[in-house]
Amino acid sequence: MQFGTEARVAPALAIESLTYAYPAAVAPALRDVSLELASGELVLLAGRSACGKSTLLRASCGLVPHFHGGEIEGRVEVAGIDALASGPSELAAAVGYVAQDPETQVVSTTVAAEIELPLEMRGDPPEARARAVEEVALALAIPHLLGRAVDTLSGGELQRVALAAALVTRPQLVLLDEPTSQLDPVAGDELIWLLRRLNEEWGVTILLAEHRLERCLAAADRVVAMDTGRIAFDGPPRDFLAWAQEADAALETPAARLFSLCGIEPLPVGVRDARQTLRGMGVDHPPHLPSRRAIDSHPTEPTLNAKALWVELDAGEGPRDVLRGVDLEIRRGERVALMGRNGAGKSTLLKAAAGLIDPARGKVEVPAGIALLTQNPSDYLVRERVEDELPGEAGLAALRTVGLERAVDADPRDLSGGERQRLALAIALAGRMEGDELPGIVALDEPTRGMDRARKDELVELIEGLSSRGAAALVATHDVEFAAAFAERVVLLGDGAVIADGPAAEILSGGWYFATEVARVLDLPGVVTPEQGAAALREGGL
Amino acid sequence: MRSPFAYTPRPGPLQSASPGAAVAYLGSLAAVAFVYSNPVMLLATGGALVLAGRLAGAWRAVRAALWMGLTLALLIVAVNALVVDRGETVLVRVGHLPLLSDVITAEALAAGAVIGLRAAVVMLAFAIYSACVDPDRVLRALRPLARRSALTATLVSRLVPVAAADAARLRDAARLRGPAAAPAGRAPLARRLLAGSLDRAVDVAATLELRGYSLIPPPPKPRVATHIPRYAWQMRFDRGGSRGRNGVRWCARSRSRYDRRFYAVGAVVLIAAAAGKLAGADAFAEYPAVEVGTGPATLALAALLVLSGLAPRTPPTQTASTSPPARGRS
Repeated sequence: MQFGTEARVAPALAIESLTYAYPAAVAPALRDVSLELASGELVLLAGRSACGKSTLLRASCGLVPHFHGGEIEGRVEVAGIDALASGPSELAAAVGYVAQDPETQVVSTTVAAEIELPLEMRGDPPEARARAVEEVALALAIPHLLGRAVDTLSGGELQRVALAAALVTRPQLVLLDEPTSQLDPVAGDELIWLLRRLNEEWGVTILLAEHRLERCLAAADRVVAMDTGRIAFDGPPRDFLAWAQEADAALETPAARLFSLCGIEPLPVGVRDARQTLRGMGVDHPPHLPSRRAIDSHPTEPTLNAKALWVELDAGEGPRDVLRGVDLEIRRGERVALMGRNGAGKSTLLKAAAGLIDPARGKVEVPAGIALLTQNPSDYLVRERVEDELPGEAGLAALRTVGLERAVDADPRDLSGGERQRLALAIALAGRMEGDELPGIVALDEPTRGMDRARKDELVELIEGLSSRGAAALVATHDVEFAAAFAERVVLLGDGAVIADGPAAEILSGGWYFATEVARVLDLPGVVTPEQGAAALREGGL
Repeated sequence: MRSPFAYTPRPGPLQSASPGAAVAYLGSLAAVAFVYSNPVMLLATGGALVLAGRLAGAWRAVRAALWMGLTLALLIVAVNALVVDRGETVLVRVGHLPLLSDVITAEALAAGAVIGLRAAVVMLAFAIYSACVDPDRVLRALRPLARRSALTATLVSRLVPVAAADAARLRDAARLRGPAAAPAGRAPLARRLLAGSLDRAVDVAATLELRGYSLIPPPPKPRVATHIPRYAWQMRFDRGGSRGRNGVRWCARSRSRYDRRFYAVGAVVLIAAAAGKLAGADAFAEYPAVEVGTGPATLALAALLVLSGLAPRTPPTQTASTSPPARGRS
């Protein structure tokens, strides 16, 4: 790797032998990382949780080490600028950074001011700022948001505003840390293709860290996979799938898993690729099979009963009907995914069921009680010892339910992300169980944010365990693959009303956005997981 | 539901004023609360702030601050009465208890009330500041002073909005705890809120660094008539409406025509407070018996303080106008 060579165009990002440890960390977060991104590339950064993806992005924009401190060795250059010698502000013109949580990356009160801020800091004249803000707003299809206050925006809108603020200076390199983790499937897909368009039309180099690889693999030129702070793979998407098949199955996409179960080569990088391969093999119209996952009958009284439920909320822009006449019954033992676009009313329905919000009209009843875990499990953890959060026998019973009985003496902050989530659930359950009998309904709001597939599989096990013990599990989620893994029923909300309610296999194979990757590849009613897809293809004579 | 302390853009004089002018005005009243102990003066200062908040359209913030401030004041009164045994007027004899006073006196109650009232008045001033002063303008105003510390700037300008959002989430989570879980409790919640807000402030400060906050600001250019293109969304702001007015940033809103008013009122309050102090307007003694001075100097200064609460009043000519209120310099 060459640095500072005048005869060639400087790469958008050049990292050489980078090793970095956070202050007081036991082990380095990055170990001997070398990476070069040519101008105009769109590179996907893959890897399990805590493998070093976010740290690598932060080192690429100067936050590491300038903002976080710690010990660092090696070299980082962004568009020819030494990132270790210059701080993030000096790099601001060359690199834009979009973090996972959009709420922590807005510093102004209005959208226009937020987008304009980097230009103002740089000292651009007002007329240049006006034009740049207008153009980036048009490019991201958000001119209608410019006059809005940022605290009235949805997660998806906020993410676009953050991206606009990162792009407004026309940087050569844009870094994105799981930008779709809080977006519904529609907004997530839109964002990925928007990035591809910006990459192609504006020539922006993009480094994108993501867990939901099936969403963005087809848009990437190249994949870099990390493992415990090192680069474990660097190559084209198709080679990455072959590598993941051998090295880490948790990184496989559903379509690739479908193909590997059927022994089909080459592995597909996306839906279109998979369909073309199947068509080439003569599997153009797979047989239509009956739905395989009908809802099991649950002949019990409803444990959640909403009748003509209307909820009105005011987020600062006047009252708005968030739920509009919702009728819904859920029975003990059911596993239900609550899906819909950002702002469709999923969280509001859960909060109304838990009594946090009063209905404007209609009613919602939970006769056997409800335990609700909201989107931020850390909000439940206010003490420094697990046993102080959950004292007594009832607390221990709740800990046993989530498999954390051995952690009674631990500090909640020392637990892993998944364990903290389970502890928060135990806090919500404590005292709502009669002996070991669970409350009628256990509700989780967006529990898979920032989770890799291994942690999602653990969560599926936990939900199935709760369900087998008699509780209904109601989970609001944007993650269609996760929904396909745990749910037997899907309720789809649209603009505050129930627009679809039925068996998960039927709902998740009957559309385009709210459908799994396998469903989109095969287009077979009732086939949503790789295992079901492989069975269907085998039945079809493949 | 937004926090009552969150900034809400409105076309009033206090919202239009530069952060420096608003701080000079509200700070002068807070300074009186710190310097004076005479309850008449503290009540007058509190009255001025209630009036100012009402006229500035920050009534929700005023009510919330009054509720919090008076709750805190009651707590201080109770604690002071239980631990201080000075004073001639014994109201109750409680007997000997470790660390506590044997008697509750009227003077200890009065002394606690003064301390509590002072805290409530300061909270009122801060609540009105938070609800009426645009954090964006504070951020820009701080840049020349705290360029190398985005975190300082973030804490000053964004801590209240960030903490308000976090507090709402923590309240929900506390209500969702199972009945057998330890109650969240005010102290653990407050610790968690502070720690969480500081963590999030660090994240916001990182974003500010990435936006170029630490760059050396360019030298100010001489003001010349420049054609600035008007885009559709800017014109929407120009027409007024609650959504967009605060969005216009092209005209540097470093000053407002109301600035002089607030600087002047702040200066008058401070000068009068200093003069009143010299003239004995702060005559007050808690022990051995409560004595509250109500001389002419005290009453005159109290009246002046209450009148200072009229400073955020919108001029009648502006309310009669059919055109949208002017933003920015005038």
